[in-house]
Amino acid sequence: MALSLAIRDVDAGYGAVRALHGVSLGIRDGETVALLGTNGNGKSTLMKCIMGMVRPTRGSVTLEIDGARHDLVRLSTEEIVNLGVAMVPEGRRLFPKLTVEENLLLGAFRPLARADIGKNLAFCFEVFPVLVERRRQLAGSLSGGQQQMLAIGRALMSAPRLLLVDEPSVGLAPILVSHTITKIKELKERYGLTVLMAEQNFHQAIRIADRGYIIVHGEIVFEGDVAALEQNELVKNYYLGSAA
Amino acid sequence: MFSADLLANAVVAGILLGGFYAAVAIGLAIVFGQLDIVNIAHPAFIIVGAYIAYILNSRFGFDPVLVGLLAAPAFFFVGALIYRVYFLAFERTGQESLSGLAFFFGVMFIIEVVLILIYGVDYRLVQAGYIGQTWRIGFVDFPLRMLVPFAVSAALTAAIYAYMSHTFMGRAIQAVAQDRLALQLMGADPVRIKQWAFGLGIATAAIAGSLLIIIGPVEPSVGRLYIGRAFAIVVLGGMGSIKGMFIAALILGIVESMVATFAGPSWSPAVAFGVLALTLALRPAGLFGRQ
Repeated sequence: MALSLAIRDVDAGYGAVRALHGVSLGIRDGETVALLGTNGNGKSTLMKCIMGMVRPTRGSVTLEIDGARHDLVRLSTEEIVNLGVAMVPEGRRLFPKLTVEENLLLGAFRPLARADIGKNLAFCFEVFPVLVERRRQLAGSLSGGQQQMLAIGRALMSAPRLLLVDEPSVGLAPILVSHTITKIKELKERYGLTVLMAEQNFHQAIRIADRGYIIVHGEIVFEGDVAALEQNELVKNYYLGSAA
Repeated sequence: MFSADLLANAVVAGILLGGFYAAVAIGLAIVFGQLDIVNIAHPAFIIVGAYIAYILNSRFGFDPVLVGLLAAPAFFFVGALIYRVYFLAFERTGQESLSGLAFFFGVMFIIEVVLILIYGVDYRLVQAGYIGQTWRIGFVDFPLRMLVPFAVSAALTAAIYAYMSHTFMGRAIQAVAQDRLALQLMGADPVRIKQWAFGLGIATAAIAGSLLIIIGPVEPSVGRLYIGRAFAIVVLGGMGSIKGMFIAALILGIVESMVATFAGPSWSPAVAFGVLALTLALRPAGLFGRQ
């Protein structure tokens, strides 16, 4: 029951624009890893490389799961999802004209998830009680915070082993950001997930992270555990305000 | 001129007619309503279905409804193939809006011309024991050549409704035009989902065709009469909604029948476009549209 993800020397971009330069990153089983950086530094591109939505021009992305190695660079997004990797995308990407329940049920599309659909739906409703009340409501009519809960719940419905969360805090009020991050931690612990979270909100992210990477202009400039991150000069400059 | 039995007969005839319209429109409710593909060739496929029913009925005496059900799987594969071509030629490169429309125009003309070349422009019809019979309840007539299509169409609608709302594939079909990338993140291949849905839409044309030729004789270009009606029904029903489509079909049938009875049959083709114009002006999301 082991899982690990290894990203080695990845270059990737869009057309002539290179968004990632020689990025390496590793995630071990059961960890919560934070990918920290401000807007436009390549966090989302890296997430998309893992999901097969952006193809690296160089380097490797390898998922090892229960002793089998999978070269994610050669797989389609659907095949990667079928291995047990789920992503909560930036901007949530819900199906606005489907109901809350329909969105959740679609999350269980992959064959392996269908067997546990009842159990996972009950689990989602237990963790996010607000979704129970609104199960017949269209996803597009939910508030931002509720939509984020639904997006996380929907990803969970695919019974993932590795959960990628891209900027859960975007567009949410501070109290909701805190709530969302707490929920991710709760899920991780109860579900035994391994989590990679891209986030700009340093303080919130390190509340639940075991380790973190800082990405600046498409390069990993720092890697370390939470204590090391908090002491890092770059972090102080970027997030904590060096003058203060 | 006006009398209660005339009104009752007009309403019943309209409901039966509307039920049949649902079979005509249901394929478009999937293909146009859910996938956003403007398949104006859909009624032409219905005519093909009608001709297959005619051939097997006139040669072997098969019941037209049975022929429709048997032909549906073949139509499914043809539909899936056509979507593949449409995807590779237009959708993949983002040219579907205009070139795609021209493509389906072309498909429609090819079907019509091929049918004319083989069978000529004569009207063709089918034989079945129930076609000449009429049930009469009180002073209201229920001609079986209308009642049978109504019943088959209602069953088809119920089956598609259940499929769309209770299966993984059905839900994926509803989602695919909303956000294909998010659907990929659910582990579904959007192109395969659309191909399946398009096949399903065309499969319904086999059944609708068999119903069309039960109601009355068919010639190759009669499908054109149904283009406006079918699109009007899908829009009035709220694009993808199957339930809305069925109710919209009944409304159109009733209004057409009333207009034909009280204003004259020559007005009834105008009803669909009137309904379409009013819907777009007053309630663009349709009766059961999700917004």
